[in-house]
Amino acid sequence: MKKKLFAAALLSVTAFSSITACSSGSTKDSSAGDSKSETVTLRMIESLTSPARTEVIKQMLTKFEEANPGIKVELISPPLESADNKIAQMLSSKADLDVMEVRDSTVKQFVTNNWVADLSADTANWADYKTLNNSAKLTANYIDNKPYYIPYGLYEKILFYRTDWFKEKGLEAPKTWEDLYQAAKKITDPSKNRYGYSFRGGKGADSYIVDMIRDYNGANTNPDDAMFLKNGSTIFSTPEAKQALENHLNIYKEGAPKDSLSWGFSEMVEGFQSGITGMLIQDPDVIDVVKQKMGEGTWSTAAIPAGSSGLTHFKVGAAGWGITSYSKHQAEAWKLVSFLSSPDQNKFFTQKTGLIPVHTTAAEDEYYKTGYYKPYMDMSADTAHYIPVKPETDYKGFGEWRNVIQQDTQLVILGKLSVDDALKKWDAYWLNEKKQGK
Amino acid sequence: MNDTQARKPRRLSSTAIFIFFCLVPALIPVLLFTYYPIFKGIVMAFQNYSLFNLNDIRFIGFDNFRTVLQDPSLPTILKNTASWVFISLILQFGIGFLLALLLYKKFPGRGVYQGLIFYSWAMSGFLIGIIWRWMFNGQIGVINDLLLKWGLISERIGFLSDPKWAMISVITANVWYGVAFFAIMLMAAMQSIPEELFEAADMDGAGWFKKLFHVIVPYILPTIITTSALRVIWIFNFPDIIYAMTNGGPANSTHILSTFMLDKIVFNGDYGLASAIGVIAIILLLLYTMFYLFATRASKAGDF
Repeated sequence: MKKKLFAAALLSVTAFSSITACSSGSTKDSSAGDSKSETVTLRMIESLTSPARTEVIKQMLTKFEEANPGIKVELISPPLESADNKIAQMLSSKADLDVMEVRDSTVKQFVTNNWVADLSADTANWADYKTLNNSAKLTANYIDNKPYYIPYGLYEKILFYRTDWFKEKGLEAPKTWEDLYQAAKKITDPSKNRYGYSFRGGKGADSYIVDMIRDYNGANTNPDDAMFLKNGSTIFSTPEAKQALENHLNIYKEGAPKDSLSWGFSEMVEGFQSGITGMLIQDPDVIDVVKQKMGEGTWSTAAIPAGSSGLTHFKVGAAGWGITSYSKHQAEAWKLVSFLSSPDQNKFFTQKTGLIPVHTTAAEDEYYKTGYYKPYMDMSADTAHYIPVKPETDYKGFGEWRNVIQQDTQLVILGKLSVDDALKKWDAYWLNEKKQGK
Repeated sequence: MNDTQARKPRRLSSTAIFIFFCLVPALIPVLLFTYYPIFKGIVMAFQNYSLFNLNDIRFIGFDNFRTVLQDPSLPTILKNTASWVFISLILQFGIGFLLALLLYKKFPGRGVYQGLIFYSWAMSGFLIGIIWRWMFNGQIGVINDLLLKWGLISERIGFLSDPKWAMISVITANVWYGVAFFAIMLMAAMQSIPEELFEAADMDGAGWFKKLFHVIVPYILPTIITTSALRVIWIFNFPDIIYAMTNGGPANSTHILSTFMLDKIVFNGDYGLASAIGVIAIILLLLYTMFYLFATRASKAGDF
């Protein structure tokens, strides 16, 4: 009987352990700073961690420490997959942090929870603020028109394509999404394990679908609230949205590997650089990765295709450095953020990590004017056809939305949900989001 | 024996109080790190607890449970959870048992074999998921390449993009991972079978099958019952492989309750909703445990 009771108790405890998975652990890190000595120790945490990038940041921190002998910086680099959750948990428990990586997708959450400091007073007296480019200023001031972080680089998609395969088939870099579909179809030859396009059907598929739908809606899309049209309806409520989604499905069915239904970032990039797909749409940090694997002259970059209206809507993603609202070393923390964000340091960082720089002065650099980065400069110069839109990350349901659209599109591709029903569902989702308010 | 003497043992003796206080230092961390999170998790299931707005934490009754139970994907998720747990368990046990039978008797190099089998158990679930995701990749995966080379298929299979194959693929990875557990546990139990039992069986003229079913299986039955009960709970609560391989897709075809719970944290930052799913998982596991212990009679179970 005793054994029976003991067995039941132990199994119950093991069963109960499942719930601990959803309890937020609180991390109380002890302070590394020594208040008695004169040296101030700043604790800084990064989010988009990778060994190579951490190394670049460390080099910049060394330079900062040399220029500021009274300040030491301790860098925390959690693994990429869990970094944002880790940062949120540390901030919620007011763990000892001074500077943290803030992303366009996390800034709203940080502001709502009062975790991040408003940098208005600091930027007002900061000479380098004036040379920040428009995209950098827009993303820095995205919430409440206040600078809650200074971007260290911008993420914006471009088209990568195989010039050798395109030449072989007598094709040119696609100008519209319809062109992209036609080119993808022509390149695809399953017998050679060769496909047109690195389709993204898995994690992160949402932005590819939404961008295309915006382009098909053309000038009716509202750039300031880009899940909606200028007349207030959602971008999913129009016949153009249906055309866009159908084009997206056709690209998958006739121009992409079947397996790409579940592809995420790494599979897409690997598909392109291993010679399976002829086109890829990705952020600039992929340029270096592709450069290392593929020979010069076999590939190139081009601007993102347009919808049937000839317009391309693009989102500029950003991440940067912010200061915790409760930091005891606000002045020193700002010294660090402004150092990392200075034109010199930013040029060093963006060139090492393959990002678009945040200062207007960098655009004059030959490095960006020619070569693989050129489409970025062309897109920003042609404001009549390339329209920047405000990302929808400030809506409460943004996180869930990403999952909803990805799963629904997979259902549509598998024939378990109709295009019309998917669009109706997404239309209702965003009308509800609008009703609930940001 | 008078009344006073009869009542005496019911009072706590000074020794018992002393022992209790000696245990307190050990009890505090257990309460703090095991029972407090469980309690907190249950409380959160009844709260509006979103990471996106921690200034608005409040009790909302059964709203989280209602949301979970009304989710249109829940029936698929429960069905997937059942196949994930029971198919994985049966295959892990079956293969693990076979390996244990092959390895429990001494032979040269047995240590090396045991080490190789135990290898998978030492790896992290996420890492296993990532490795198998690349192996099952439709275009550049080694599994498709081998099947093509051997002439078993003429066209590449989208293991992770075809709902028919996706569940088979994640279960395959999970079986690979869990076989080691059964192999090691059952082998340890087999090694403790007294040699005399086999000698007696030999004298009675028992063949290999008779020895298996009349000596080995009855002797290790308590271990089988205990390990399989625990393993069901572990597999049930193990989202790592699925999350890394398919993220629950395509179109929910590999979502199980624990990946569904993780989704609510990763995408929604909704700890309240995730906790409600956790509580539902506890209820299901408790029902299973009670049924299992009743069906197998706990007295037969080995020492935990």
